[in-house]
Amino acid sequence: MQDRPPRTQSGSKQKPYYKRKTCRFCEEKTLPIDYKAPHVLKDFITERGKILPRRITGTCAHHQKKLATEIKRARIMALIPFTVHD
Amino acid sequence: MGLQNHKEEFMNLYEIMFILNPDIGEDEREKLTTRLKTIISKNKGDIIRFDDLGFKSLTYKIKKKSRGQYFLTNLEGPGSMIAEIERFLRIDENVIRFVVVKLDKHISRQDLEPKVEPQPEAAQAPAPEQGEVGA
Repeated sequence: MQDRPPRTQSGSKQKPYYKRKTCRFCEEKTLPIDYKAPHVLKDFITERGKILPRRITGTCAHHQKKLATEIKRARIMALIPFTVHD
Repeated sequence: MGLQNHKEEFMNLYEIMFILNPDIGEDEREKLTTRLKTIISKNKGDIIRFDDLGFKSLTYKIKKKSRGQYFLTNLEGPGSMIAEIERFLRIDENVIRFVVVKLDKHISRQDLEPKVEPQPEAAQAPAPEQGEVGA
């Protein structure tokens, strides 16, 4: 195992330091992308029920594609809402 | 023989989830599920599992109902079987929603079969197999 030098925190003049978002499904292999697990899908939709874009959640392209279909299936089965309105 | 086999339909794995009217009685639900099962077996299908997930509240109203009885089933069978099942589910008024999913090729039948008593297996595993190890 190689030891990488510790990542330096950026100084005040440099760009602000952001933690790189990672795909939750790549990190956690056991996390299911399944329409039958609405509690997982709920993390990837807005309060109004829209699918969150990749740039916000950090999901990789491969998993985002699967996620979108599973969210749509879950909507059909009334497990998560299509829309939430007042 | 090879040519005849060619005509045989390819078997796929499917998953079907459907929601039933929550107001129907036990016998009516039984009737519906047995009819569904006969349709499956008539069309060369095989039921791997058939689960009653119980009552759940719907996140939006369907046919003025805010609750439903969820069922989940895994099947193995030809594509023609699915057409028949879909026809039946669409016609029956007590089925308020359904979804059919063709499962990925890398999912095997064993993955879907309900796990039967995992405990005795776990109990046996730590026991040392003295006879074979000694040889």
